Amino acid sequence: MKLIIMPKSINMLNNLLDKIDGVIVGYKGLCMNMPKDYSKEEIEDIIKICKDNNKEVFISLNKNMFNKDIDTLKEVMISLDNMGVNGILYYDIALVNIKEELGLKVDLVWNQEHLTTNYLTMNFWYEYGAKYTLISNEITLDEIKDIKKNAKCKLMFYAFGYLPMFVSRRNLVKNYLETFNIDDNSKINYLSKEGKEYQIIDTEDGTIAYSDRVLNAIKESIEIDADYTILNSFSIDEDIFNKVVDLFSKVSTDNALEYKEEIDKMFPTYLGFLYNETIYKVKKND
Amino acid sequence: MTKKVELLAPAGDLERLKVALLYGADAVYIGGPRLGLRANAINFTIEEIKEGCSFAHKLGKRVHVAVNIALHNKEIDGMVKYLKDLEEAGVDAIIVSDPAIMKVAKDNTNIEIHVSTQASTLNIEAVKFWKKFGATRVVLGRETSKEDIKEIIDNVDIEIESFIHGAMCSSYSGRCVLSNFFTGRDANRGGCAQICRWDFDLLDENKNILEGDKPFTFCTKDLSQLEYIPDMIDLGISSFKIEGRMRSIYYIATVVGVYRKAIDNYLSGNYKYDKDSEKVLRAVANRDSISQFLNGNFGKESQYYNGREEISNQDFLGLVLDYDKDSKMATIMQRNYFKKGDVVEFFGPNDKCFTYTVNDIYDEEGNIIDIVRHPKQVVKLPVEEELNTCDMMRIKKY
Repeated sequence: MKLIIMPKSINMLNNLLDKIDGVIVGYKGLCMNMPKDYSKEEIEDIIKICKDNNKEVFISLNKNMFNKDIDTLKEVMISLDNMGVNGILYYDIALVNIKEELGLKVDLVWNQEHLTTNYLTMNFWYEYGAKYTLISNEITLDEIKDIKKNAKCKLMFYAFGYLPMFVSRRNLVKNYLETFNIDDNSKINYLSKEGKEYQIIDTEDGTIAYSDRVLNAIKESIEIDADYTILNSFSIDEDIFNKVVDLFSKVSTDNALEYKEEIDKMFPTYLGFLYNETIYKVKKND
Repeated sequence: MTKKVELLAPAGDLERLKVALLYGADAVYIGGPRLGLRANAINFTIEEIKEGCSFAHKLGKRVHVAVNIALHNKEIDGMVKYLKDLEEAGVDAIIVSDPAIMKVAKDNTNIEIHVSTQASTLNIEAVKFWKKFGATRVVLGRETSKEDIKEIIDNVDIEIESFIHGAMCSSYSGRCVLSNFFTGRDANRGGCAQICRWDFDLLDENKNILEGDKPFTFCTKDLSQLEYIPDMIDLGISSFKIEGRMRSIYYIATVVGVYRKAIDNYLSGNYKYDKDSEKVLRAVANRDSISQFLNGNFGKESQYYNGREEISNQDFLGLVLDYDKDSKMATIMQRNYFKKGDVVEFFGPNDKCFTYTVNDIYDEEGNIIDIVRHPKQVVKLPVEEELNTCDMMRIKKY
């Protein structure tokens, strides 16, 4: 199991290099849901740092693409291919077509967030160059184990961090503030409902909302033993994140429960949907 | 003039399928017993699909079935048989977002594959991929603008389907799991609980409430492209889709009728934007509607902050079950309260619409009554102008 982080600064990456096996970073203008969007120059620096230190590097180009994005997207994919990154995370199918039409060698990571829910579709995308899949957070541990038995691709398991639950092209916070003439320049806002608070962020490309709690699946990461375990630093205090990475880097069957409890002291216990299967057919009178 | 376009309507059951086709839809889309995104709707059995296809094909029309669930492992078994069953039932096309389902369909049936809007296809490269894969049609993501659509149509030779009317997801389709988090119901497998319509408090970065006149919601106004039908036909869009498989026969009849007229009028060179028709569309849904992304309009005027305050529509007064040409007597099933003296409208397919004042009302025993107050009560009304089964009676407003 390789440990991959989504860092919110190059400094964070440098500080954690000896504890991790690689990074996933977002490319400015072409990604969403990442702790930081990195510029071309920063991406080049990150790739160099990773290569010099024998770490893997995956670049996230996971936003929904429009025609206006395609020329830039092609340029970026060609340059990432030339720089020999380990993989490109995609949401939009445009990336699959571009890879095929331009004959790019770079591997893809199927990262359609909530849709990466079964092995048959993983095997479909595998034939189109998606040698990795970042598994959906909305499926159960048993489903993931079944996927592991049947999927051809390498699996990435998101084990720590806030969970994205909504992405829109609209600027929902801005629209609300403008409708009711409210002055507010917050970089991040919150939605409050029944005592729980959810982060909501407007960006140039739209609005993203996150879970109220932080997923901590350190124990399950051992049980699943995916090829890659992913830790996301978004909105997590840097010292705390460093501590979490340290625990994940040392976790084993013997200490998994102890480490889980240690992280649970920092964040309320939250295991997302790993033990809670969602339903979709509501019984009468429910 | 431009080629013929398809008007595609939703149908939650056989009655709605028939109404949609009779009122002018060229095709309907429905949900089958498996793998659709309206798990809590009634949905068609295979036998009903067969009957629906037979009804549609006799009229020279088509039936599409939504198979647009986000697939989970446990749904993989049985998929081949289900898709073959749909083909044997006479289904013309399936609407799919998961490519694994598309591949199974391609390998085991000759059924047409339409890429669902759930796949959020927004650009030329993605459309090219689906064409190469063998899809015959792509339902574009609702975020595409006029310019996006034109570029796609100019560059890829494939049928393009676009939404023209109905409720809108606030998110990119497939990128919202609010329902999963708030209710445990899976949005991408047909369990969406419409959390986007809930009220929330919006807080600033210091967690102070930002108080507007109404609470924050994710919710958007409905989509209405009536005014832009000419533009959309000129763009070369092949199919115009109306949202709402769970809507009533009255909604379907009204919306299909309005758009049928608009499309036909434009294609015959007689188009004039009709504001009264727009009012009829708004009234039938009880929600505001605008054109949204087609014209780059997704700012504050596209938001809807009324939460769940909409009241149900009471305009639909009755469904014509039968008409006796000799006695000129119409048999009507009541859908909402009406009474002697009410000025109403009868409307039906082919733009039929006339005003009528309720006078004599007879119950099933032939007694004269003044008020029709019981749900689904069957009554007879003398009506001079000829009516047909499936014509409808509504409150006259405009």
